[in-house]
Amino acid sequence: MTPENTTLASTKPHIELPSIQVQSTRAPGNVSGGGFTVEPAFRCVDLSVFYGGKVALKEVTMDIEPRRITAIIGPSGCGKSTLIRCFNRMNDLVVGAKVEGQVLYHGTDIYAPGIDPVMVRRQVGMVFQRPNPFPKSIKDNVAFGAKINGYKGNIDELVEKSLRRAALWEEVKNDLNRSALGLSGGQQQRLCIARAIAVEPDTILMDEPASALDPVATVRIEDLMQELKEEYSIIIVTHNMQQAARVSDKAAFLYTEVDEATSDRWGILVEYGDTGQIFTNPRDKRTEDYVSGRFG
Amino acid sequence: MRETYNRELDALDQGIVRMGALVEQAIEKATIAITDSDEALAREVMEGDDEIDDLFADLESRTLTFIATQAPVASDLRLILMVLRAAHDLERSGDLAYNLAKVASRHVKMAELKGINTLIFELGNAARRLLGKAIDAWSGKDVELAIEVQKLDDEIDELYRKLYRQLYDLKDPDLFEPALNAVLVGRWYERVADHAVNIAENVRYYVTGDEEFLA
Repeated sequence: MTPENTTLASTKPHIELPSIQVQSTRAPGNVSGGGFTVEPAFRCVDLSVFYGGKVALKEVTMDIEPRRITAIIGPSGCGKSTLIRCFNRMNDLVVGAKVEGQVLYHGTDIYAPGIDPVMVRRQVGMVFQRPNPFPKSIKDNVAFGAKINGYKGNIDELVEKSLRRAALWEEVKNDLNRSALGLSGGQQQRLCIARAIAVEPDTILMDEPASALDPVATVRIEDLMQELKEEYSIIIVTHNMQQAARVSDKAAFLYTEVDEATSDRWGILVEYGDTGQIFTNPRDKRTEDYVSGRFG
Repeated sequence: MRETYNRELDALDQGIVRMGALVEQAIEKATIAITDSDEALAREVMEGDDEIDDLFADLESRTLTFIATQAPVASDLRLILMVLRAAHDLERSGDLAYNLAKVASRHVKMAELKGINTLIFELGNAARRLLGKAIDAWSGKDVELAIEVQKLDDEIDELYRKLYRQLYDLKDPDLFEPALNAVLVGRWYERVADHAVNIAENVRYYVTGDEEFLA
């Protein structure tokens, strides 16, 4: 896919999305944490986020590699969740939030005028910290997004395919009409992943997807992520450093800067690189101290 | 933060310094035992090897426990890996000191080899000094000193070649046994120096994180 003909339209067959033409492209260049040659799934350029006029995340520039797992790590309040929410414009839902800079999704600035955030979210799904199934049947949960989008294919097939991809099918195939609320926490989270992938997104954002789960359910989610990255770009925010080390290909370390005079705090991107490098030979002292548990 | 963690990390780091001091002493005593034909000193070195082996086993076991329970990363992980490697190099060096002492205990009359005895003394001293420098580099995580160790290794190699040539020139069947032992002794010192160089490379890997020094 070349930048010239990049669109936000899904290349996947089932869902018809309006095509949004490229608003801007930038040649790969002096962007921190690059180091790969494929076209990035996302490119943030001088991305800053403000809440109520105060900066919360400052001038982040980074590329997200497609079909890889990118972990965002850092101490509480460093802007991890703020950053991940920029990738599908979830910050739009926060009153008083303002975004500066660019987030290019396959070359298209998703914050450009005329871009419909709903379209963005169809391409960029999200899984939250606490599983949040709808109080409906397992089947209806998975089919929900597709139905809203006017999906014209075979719903049963879509449900089965999505549940299989989310490694939940075998456990629920005989109870598809049962309430989703009766599932265990780990099963509910995999159901939410199935729901997210049923609308055929390109990227899945995961904000602490396993922090409310027990170790066995956590391992299942981590295994699932490895399978999903064959088809999707995944960005995960996690407090669990070992989890970031285990699952991710690239890791971004965010850190909180404080203005001593005003006590204002904001997040900055300190270091971004291959996960192996971040956990064996971090370049920045602050990364070193954080990953080795000496602060945060 | 993480006080217990830091304490154990320091203890493992210092374990190498302690083990290094014991091995350095063993090499020094073994050299004297050989060149002075001091059998009592040779026995002391051979008996002392158990302490080095025990230290090695202890360091290895604690290192594995540390990895399993503390999951170190970044420079801590590099240090732990280097502790394992350096401990192994020192354990091997300790075994070489044992071999050297064993030669001295077997009534091999090195002193009969004119000039050779002095050369062995020189080689033994150089190998011990090199090991000492490597341990100093470890202790201070001193890259400059580590580089010096690598350069000094060439001198040891040269001394070993010189020893080999002189022994070759002896051509005296009566001196066959001491000469054969002298070749082995020279080779063992040269290997002690190689272990010292490994330790110096460990220091460079630890400090720089550059995997070139892992080779």
